Amino acid sequence: MKAKKQKRQGDFQKVQLKVGKKKPKADNATNVNFRSKAIHLPEQLKHVDSGPTKHRQLDIMDLLSKLHHINSNIKQGALVGLRELLSAQPSMIELHASAVLSEVAALFTDKDGSVRAAAVRLLRFITQCIPAERVVPFFPLLSAHLTCAMTHISEAIQEDALRVLDVLLEHYPGLLSQRHTVLLTNFLELISQKRKAATGQDKSGKGGFALTISTNRSVTAQQWRLTVLLRLGSFLQAVVEERPLDEGVTSSIGLGMWAGEKGSVTSVDVSWEEHVFGKGRIQVFENSGAVPTPHSAYRLRPDSKAGAGMNKELCSAETVQGFAGTLVPLLLEIWVEAAGGDHVQTDSGHLLSAEAMALMFQILTILQLLRRVSPHRDQKDILDAWFRNSYLADFKHHFMKNFPYGLLEVARHKKKADGKRIRQQVAAGTVAGGNVEPLALNVTLCQVMVTLSLRGQDHVEAEDADWLGTIRVFIRETLSNGGKLSSKHLAALLEVVWRMIVTQRSRVVTDDLLQAVYVQYQQRNLAVSVRSLLLCFFSQFYIQEHQNHPHIARSRILARWLASLPVQLVQLGSRNPQLSAQLLETIHPAAARGNKDLLQSLQKNACSIYDPQEGCVVVLPVESQKRLVQILHSLPAFPAELLACLSQVCNTGRVSASLATMLIRTIHLRSPLCGWSSSSQDVPVKDVDYLSFFFTTLTGFSSEMLQALQDTDEDSLLPSSILSPLSVFATTLEQFLHHWDIVEEVCHCLDTLGSRAQCFDVIQNAIIKNLCGLVVVPDCVCAAILRCVPRLLDVNFLPSDTLLHFLSDCCLSMLNLLLQLEQSAHKRDAVWEACFAALSTVPRLLRLVLQSFRVCDLCEEELPVLAQILSLLLQHTQLRNHMMANASLLQHIIQDLTHFYGGETREQWLTDLLYCYSVTLFGHRANMGMRDIY
Amino acid sequence: MSAPVEVVLSADSAGQLFNCAVFDPHSGSEFLSYRGGNTSSRSLTVLNGEYILGAQLGKNFINVWEIQRKDQLQQKIVCPGIVTCLCASPDGLYVLAGIAEAIYLWEMSTGNLLAILSRHYQDVSCIRFTDDSSHFVSGGKDNLALIWNLSSVVQLDSSRTPEPCHILSRHSLPITDIHCGLMGPQARVATASLDQTVKVWEVSSGEMLLSVLFDVGIMSVTFDPCEYFLFCGGSDGNIFQVSLCSTSLSRDKTFQTDSDGNQVFKGHRNLVTCLSVSMDGTLLLSGSNDETVRMWDVQSKQCIWSINHKGHVTNAVIIPAPANMFLADSHPAVPLPRFSRHLNPSEQGDGTGSGGMCLRLGASTQVTSETSLKVLERCDDKCGSVLCQSVFGDGENTKVRVSELEEEVKTLKKINKDLYEFSTQLLTKPN
Repeated sequence: MKAKKQKRQGDFQKVQLKVGKKKPKADNATNVNFRSKAIHLPEQLKHVDSGPTKHRQLDIMDLLSKLHHINSNIKQGALVGLRELLSAQPSMIELHASAVLSEVAALFTDKDGSVRAAAVRLLRFITQCIPAERVVPFFPLLSAHLTCAMTHISEAIQEDALRVLDVLLEHYPGLLSQRHTVLLTNFLELISQKRKAATGQDKSGKGGFALTISTNRSVTAQQWRLTVLLRLGSFLQAVVEERPLDEGVTSSIGLGMWAGEKGSVTSVDVSWEEHVFGKGRIQVFENSGAVPTPHSAYRLRPDSKAGAGMNKELCSAETVQGFAGTLVPLLLEIWVEAAGGDHVQTDSGHLLSAEAMALMFQILTILQLLRRVSPHRDQKDILDAWFRNSYLADFKHHFMKNFPYGLLEVARHKKKADGKRIRQQVAAGTVAGGNVEPLALNVTLCQVMVTLSLRGQDHVEAEDADWLGTIRVFIRETLSNGGKLSSKHLAALLEVVWRMIVTQRSRVVTDDLLQAVYVQYQQRNLAVSVRSLLLCFFSQFYIQEHQNHPHIARSRILARWLASLPVQLVQLGSRNPQLSAQLLETIHPAAARGNKDLLQSLQKNACSIYDPQEGCVVVLPVESQKRLVQILHSLPAFPAELLACLSQVCNTGRVSASLATMLIRTIHLRSPLCGWSSSSQDVPVKDVDYLSFFFTTLTGFSSEMLQALQDTDEDSLLPSSILSPLSVFATTLEQFLHHWDIVEEVCHCLDTLGSRAQCFDVIQNAIIKNLCGLVVVPDCVCAAILRCVPRLLDVNFLPSDTLLHFLSDCCLSMLNLLLQLEQSAHKRDAVWEACFAALSTVPRLLRLVLQSFRVCDLCEEELPVLAQILSLLLQHTQLRNHMMANASLLQHIIQDLTHFYGGETREQWLTDLLYCYSVTLFGHRANMGMRDIY
Repeated sequence: MSAPVEVVLSADSAGQLFNCAVFDPHSGSEFLSYRGGNTSSRSLTVLNGEYILGAQLGKNFINVWEIQRKDQLQQKIVCPGIVTCLCASPDGLYVLAGIAEAIYLWEMSTGNLLAILSRHYQDVSCIRFTDDSSHFVSGGKDNLALIWNLSSVVQLDSSRTPEPCHILSRHSLPITDIHCGLMGPQARVATASLDQTVKVWEVSSGEMLLSVLFDVGIMSVTFDPCEYFLFCGGSDGNIFQVSLCSTSLSRDKTFQTDSDGNQVFKGHRNLVTCLSVSMDGTLLLSGSNDETVRMWDVQSKQCIWSINHKGHVTNAVIIPAPANMFLADSHPAVPLPRFSRHLNPSEQGDGTGSGGMCLRLGASTQVTSETSLKVLERCDDKCGSVLCQSVFGDGENTKVRVSELEEEVKTLKKINKDLYEFSTQLLTKPN
């Protein structure tokens, strides 16, 4: 016991502290006998490898991790920081896209409004930087979060989800439209809820959804619905636009209805080299089958891996019907509530408040888009028929009852309240749809209703008459009241007109509506886009529907419009080439189809269209010029004045040589002399006119111009002399070559005429009568005559002496000109070719030329020229035989030449000539002549 | 002398020596000539190898000769207007004539006028059948070429006017000539036009395959049978040979002469209005407004012979020699009926005048819901499965199946025979 006590004392021994004694040191005391020095860091250590930081020295990873923080202020701050960071360093977006997008998307459903707003702002910034094709892998995640937000129980989150949708629609419409199955139901659930099964059965006609009203939203139920419908509208728009285009029907003006009746067949370009080894299967499209199948079954990779029902295409009529069956009753319900809530009184039922109008406009837009979603024409027809069967009565009752709608003027004293409301609307983002013109509303309503009228079924026409009649009256008044319409509204109206004319098949309706359009067309000072739209409407209407529908073919308005086209073409002149081209696009086929009204009018205006000074054929661009020349093929008659115009058009050089050639060929083909056109009842070109046209074109100068040339004394005139009996007017190189090309074609055409002797006789007479007395002759005329005569000359025909003398004068003058032409090889060749052809084909001409070399009359300076001409003639092998025939004459000339040349030294030119002469004579006389000379 | 395989048939617009004549394609010597009148362009045709039909130039009748009786004009068929082009179907059952802007279709067995097709806006300039007579192509001065399905045209359906299956509207000036290649509905067709282009199309789809632009208007066009080359007769007298084997992928091209196939035959001095290639593709025949017909060797581009005519050559074609042509005592198997001038659907039923009965296809009752491609696919599947069974499957089952099928064939044959006998009795029974 005692031992125990002692032991315990040993364990816990109490240290007795006593006054005056030093306190013993504790066992665990710290030794503080050291001294420290401070380490001074002048700046923070930069860690380069972890990336740049910006906001409060935080890098991107820190910021992302802060997004998970529980405090919403910190989250918001991190979002703002991320935006700053990324905008400072755009390259980082690409690097961290997956992390950033997934984190941001998670915040779509955040509890706090300011965080969501910041997230949307960040998303908007990111989407601006990443193109759609890069965002594809992250898009399933984004859209999942979006769906989550849209179906969230909290209304505020739902509202903000629509903003996210806005951003995505703006930047990635294509990607978003692939998710239509999920999103469309989400839209429905935003404004409605599924009926209970029990109630769904008894109201089965109204679809399985019922509108919901929640009282605790910041906006009224109607405004909320409007915002949702706006988004739904733009989403459907995206679906329609981003659909794979296999038809190519969307024209630039967006008038799908104007496209042809048949869908065009897309052809497959197969390069066989790639398929040699049989790597891929070739999709075979059957062209002759009744139903072409444009969708290839083969895909490299499914577009969307995730998601149930994602592969269902929205383009089949059944799918659209299924969706529309739910949506349309809802829309109608919305409208009934809006209209009923606005004003109960019935007398001013057609006046709507701005809000109701916007709502209705959205409803109609959505209806319209629903119809356009399916791309195939036959399915569209199915859909139209279905809409008609299901909803025609409803539409008539709800929409058509008060048809042309107007804007209800809200009294001004409510200004304060209005201002508040507008602010609310801005907050709700509805201001875009807030102000809708009544006209736009009415036009859209027309469009929707008209699609319900079926084509070609007589028994339904009577029951449609009432509401179609109202629409017709509205359209007629809108078009013909003289007001100017924007091109967008006009396009919609024209679409309605087209559809009504085609479906109703009545001449009265056709003329009534076309008259209204025509009134609009006749207005002055229309904008170019509007004008070309109207033009396009008429021309498409004529070209496409003319044949199929006799009531359209007989329309007087259309005939009047066609007849007015040539006049417009003349009036338009060169002011607007595009519009002229558009006019020609209609005139050409109509003329080719032999439309009587058009041809008459064309004939009447032909002289002004083909005027050589300011007619369309010279002032318009090349493509239009070509069309104008082609139109000549279908012109019924060519009077002499028109041919005179055309001849000048060919020669003035304002149309290209190739086009002038085409024009000449056209005239040639239209003439019965050509022997191509078999129907010989009517003679479009009289023989006399034909020949005078060709002669005028051949000379290239009218008689007045030639006469005027005789009296001028310009510098460009080469004076006449013995060696150049005619005074030559030198034309520019350009004009000469242009004319040369034309002469070529004229000669060819004249060459192919049946009786050559008669043809030559006519040309000879024309030359003698018109050209022989002239003193001043342009060089191109000389060349043309010299070229044409040998080509047309028949072997058995003797040309008259007058002609031959004129020709020899021409020839001499040309040879003289040839020696002076140094600048252009082309012109030299042409002139020489002409002279040579004439001299070699007509031996008498050569003799005449040689005879006219009277050496004794020449002065000293002209001798070398003569010698050069002679040696030129002698050098040519083909001419040698002909020269030999005139050997004595030649010898005489050369003797004279040496005799008259008094110079002591033998000049180079004389040596050349003698050499040529000796070479020529070598074979025949063995240099005998040479000795005589010396 | 053995009978030639092919002969050249040509006609000119003057008709002084003969209306049309038959020549030897190798030597150019004349075999036969048919006299009386003259023939307008693109309107000389051989019907069934037994008759020659040619439309009189500028008049409203068609001259007919029996092919073996060369000097005697057999008969004149009077038409409602001036015939601008004429074509007989290769199987000899139908005759098409372009009269002003309408196309008239006659049935040869009865002479009935089956249809008047007025889809052209202006005169029809050329009509051609495909080689199996299933389709025909018409071209007009309204710049359009239309492809028609013959069976849809002859269908008796008063409610619906016949529509062409395809409208080829890419030419900008009148069509001058058309040529159909071989292979029936899968053929390619070439159209020539004054707009200086020749375009090649697919009959089945109406798609344009190729467009060749020239310097001059083109008056005539033809392929060789293998479609190696396209021959185009220009309005300046040149004949352009375009190679179709080139590897360039563009659909529009401009003609340029080069070493690999794109060449020019020079010789004519005026519009080349007719072109035709022999069966073996070595000889090319051309007729021109310079009043000559020339035969060319395609390989060397040399003119082998030329014959002078007295007027513009309106028709020149190489055809397989008809059997009756050189047998003077032969007779055509079918007498030529009187061609009716009016479209009378009400009269067609009774047929009291000729004692014959008219059979017309009814309106197609079912739209071909299953396209031929699908049918082909299914057949292919069936074949595959049958093959699998016969190779890998049990033999017994197959035997049972075969015997079942044979049984069925027998039954069907019997039914068919009964039906035949019944109908012959009914038809031969004197009233």
